[in-house]
Amino acid sequence: MRPLTLKRLLWTCGALAVVLLACMVLALNLGAVPISVTDLVLNLGRVAIGQSDQLPTEYRLIVFDLRLPRILLGILVGAALSVSGASFQAMLRNPLADPFILGVSSGAAVGSILATLIAPRFTLITPLGAFLGAITTIAAVYFLGRREGELDSTTLLLGGVISASFLSAIVMFLMTALTGRDLRGTVFWLMGDLSTPIQPGLQWIFSVGLLAGIGAIYTTAADLNLLLTGEREAIHLGVDVTRVKLVVYVSASLLTGLAVSASGTIGYVGLLVPHAVRLLFGPDYRLLIPASALCGAIAIVLADTLARTVAAPTELPVGAMTAMAGAPLFIYLLRRGMR
Amino acid sequence: MSTHETSTQALGSREKPAKTARTVRLNVEQASFAYAASAESAPTFTLGATSFQARERELVAILGPNASGKSTLLRLVSGTLAPLSGRVELDGQETSRLDSRTRAQRIAVVHQESPILYAARAGDFVLQGRHPYGRALRLATTEDVAIARNALAQVGAEHLASRTIGELSGGEKQRVILARALAQQPRLVLLDEPTLHLDIGAQVELLERLRQLAEENQYAVVIVTHELALAAEFADQVVLLHHGTCLRVGSPAAVYQRELLEQVFEAPLDVELGPAGRPRVHLRAGRTEDAT
Amino acid sequence: MKFKTRPRASDSANAGCAKTRTAALRLWLALFSWLLFGIPALAQTQTVNAASGLQDAAPVSHSFTDEIGRKVEVPTVVKRIVSLAPNLTEIVFALGEGDHLAGDTDFCDYPAEATQKPRVGGPINPNLEQVVALAPDLVLATKAINRRETVEALARIGLPVFVTDPHSVDDMIASVEHIGNVLHAEKTAAPLVEDLRERLSNIDRRIAGALPRRVLFVVWTEPLISIGRGTFIADALRRAGARSVVDASAEWPRVNLEEIVRLQPEVLVFASAHAGDTQHDIDMLRARPGWRSLEALRRGNIVIISDAINRPAPRLVDAVEQLARAFHPDSFARGGSRATPAYFAVEACACAR
Repeated sequence: MRPLTLKRLLWTCGALAVVLLACMVLALNLGAVPISVTDLVLNLGRVAIGQSDQLPTEYRLIVFDLRLPRILLGILVGAALSVSGASFQAMLRNPLADPFILGVSSGAAVGSILATLIAPRFTLITPLGAFLGAITTIAAVYFLGRREGELDSTTLLLGGVISASFLSAIVMFLMTALTGRDLRGTVFWLMGDLSTPIQPGLQWIFSVGLLAGIGAIYTTAADLNLLLTGEREAIHLGVDVTRVKLVVYVSASLLTGLAVSASGTIGYVGLLVPHAVRLLFGPDYRLLIPASALCGAIAIVLADTLARTVAAPTELPVGAMTAMAGAPLFIYLLRRGMR
Repeated sequence: MSTHETSTQALGSREKPAKTARTVRLNVEQASFAYAASAESAPTFTLGATSFQARERELVAILGPNASGKSTLLRLVSGTLAPLSGRVELDGQETSRLDSRTRAQRIAVVHQESPILYAARAGDFVLQGRHPYGRALRLATTEDVAIARNALAQVGAEHLASRTIGELSGGEKQRVILARALAQQPRLVLLDEPTLHLDIGAQVELLERLRQLAEENQYAVVIVTHELALAAEFADQVVLLHHGTCLRVGSPAAVYQRELLEQVFEAPLDVELGPAGRPRVHLRAGRTEDAT
Repeated sequence: MKFKTRPRASDSANAGCAKTRTAALRLWLALFSWLLFGIPALAQTQTVNAASGLQDAAPVSHSFTDEIGRKVEVPTVVKRIVSLAPNLTEIVFALGEGDHLAGDTDFCDYPAEATQKPRVGGPINPNLEQVVALAPDLVLATKAINRRETVEALARIGLPVFVTDPHSVDDMIASVEHIGNVLHAEKTAAPLVEDLRERLSNIDRRIAGALPRRVLFVVWTEPLISIGRGTFIADALRRAGARSVVDASAEWPRVNLEEIVRLQPEVLVFASAHAGDTQHDIDMLRARPGWRSLEALRRGNIVIISDAINRPAPRLVDAVEQLARAFHPDSFARGGSRATPAYFAVEACACAR
């Protein structure tokens, strides 16, 4: 018997963090404008000790004002989507669950379109509208998914899927029925896009939101292991199933809302990263959650690097990269039985 | 079969003198329940007032055909439901009033099999039984690991610890699930139709093991079943339910009366008393033939 | 095997062990998140706070207001321009500033020299790094094609971005004027602007009094898409003495073919870069249901104009001139041939004279 120990948990997460840092350095290194690794490391060091004005200007702008925020955003989004996907897979006891299955992304899309129409000049409007749309959808699907006063997995799944379809139809209607000018950006964003950096203030909010969401879900990690063996079984082992489902639902939906507000719908990551992590490290959620966060971050950083270098200077949408890598991986996992 | 008889005899002879010395663990006193769609509408199903007691080292069978209220009674005993009237007490405390953590430390429930989604190892699965004793992440302590190992050994599945649950056979899975319940170190073990998917050999093995475990660890064991023969052979007490009414409570010999059983199970039955005072139930050969 | 009696889980040593473990875990998590987010964020605040912009040696700058109301600080000497839209590239060349164009988009194809310039990607999603790497003194964008997020991102880094937003032919000429000002190229801008305005008033005079022809401007055939009333194409048609039978507020309205058959426009206008292909496509249309009921198609009242009509740049005036000749041949001295279809390729660019 080899139960999960704190040591193994820390070592695995530490190793993944190192891999993530390596990917970050790689991503900082690559791009339309090439930069050597030694220069980069030296300059990172200079920045860390506060001597950033010694760097050449274009270099500083490209690396620190464009690339680094983009990579950080990718980390946030990758971590949020993976943890959200893993959580929904546990809560709904469905291996096909992904962060968008309950309609949060479609609600965010509707929110951002409506917000852009109402106040097109206000710079924060797209992410704010998306977030408000996400929250409204979370609340609506919550009330749809209740049975006898608590969240029922099947009802929730049905309610979410129906909401997702309905809201997608609204998005299509809005896009065709209204003048196309400002919506071009929204259409682009819907495809999943990390290329436009978000305001620095928002980055802090996202980081805090991400940590809070992942933290909240992590407090239920041990409970989720039990929940997977059955709800009745979990209740009889002392799990407060009602509370756990509520915490997971709200936190995972918020994580999805944050990710979608920042970068649109990037598919496949939330679905596949948890499965890949299960294959590598086992199904224990106490390890799965942090490992998924880190692996999701790695996946998005790599996909985004590919997206901006493969056909430089043209930028491919990140969602296309994750789909192209994700689909074969999905097939592979299916054949292995997704156990 | 002969070893079975001997063990029953052995248990039977051990039973009688020790019986009066055992403490009452579970006390069900006039407990009733009713399911209704809403507060105003008429109840769709009612479980009438039921009383019985389970002592330590005793195996009680809640017996009855489908839809007789067995599961409802089990839920009352486990504390999932609060009785509409009467009391359900474990060691003097109402089960429905216990907080879920304490309840999980005292009562272990083994359900009919749920599909297990991910490839957990049997050892980790059994460790889940320690959940009610841990905090936060509940990373397993050495004590937890020892208890889990012990539980697996008790069900004879120690060699399965590193195997994935999905690989196990039905009987092996059943044992591992039972081990998880034992890892909870409960005072009361409840089993809901545990023999459903098992062949006759595995059924007998399970019941024998349950008796043994009850004896060694001083549990009270309550099983819900509709298997007449098993209940007759292994239960110390039988609670006979029919359409939500408790018809009789007592030793198998006292409860297994032909007319009563025929009425409850709606089948032509013969009852005869076997060795060690345990009744044997036979299906009468043909409908047209008269019973001897 | 006897199961030993249950040891109490409230054993204080065990509880203590568990407590230190969770505390260690929390500490580790905190450290890790600080490492992951703290250092780069710290780096970023430093660079954002530092004086932004690439104008290391150009302290003098002028303040302009662009066509969407933004204030833009442009250096007095503009040596490097990046254009984010094809019409802006054309305007830059028309102003004689082609040598100062440091980069343009993948779609900038006119004049020929534009294709030789370094590329920054597509107009909707240009590679921001590439733009910055070209070290521009000024970036030109247009609201119709570029995204607000792109403009904001570049502005936040400290690059001056001038955004145009023409909705009519006159607006286009005004844009040429504004860009001329911003580039401090008034000497070439003024005659160009005057020439364009004069040609337009010439057209206005000639077709004054003529009844506007009812036309359908076909953007796409399947589904049928035309242009909205607020677009500069609609305005160009008006200046050429025609009226779009489609009166919609959307920019690219999808139109019902039956409605068009009911309206029976006099002339069909197609824009194309390759006349031969378009001619072939139109011939195919004659056999299609709905289309074959259009009088204009049957009679051959078709005008194929070069795709200069799609870009608010000086060549647009050429296109207007040729459309005017096609719609009102009698109003022009030389008189146009009545034989249609007429194809007008805009050969020479409206360069500075």
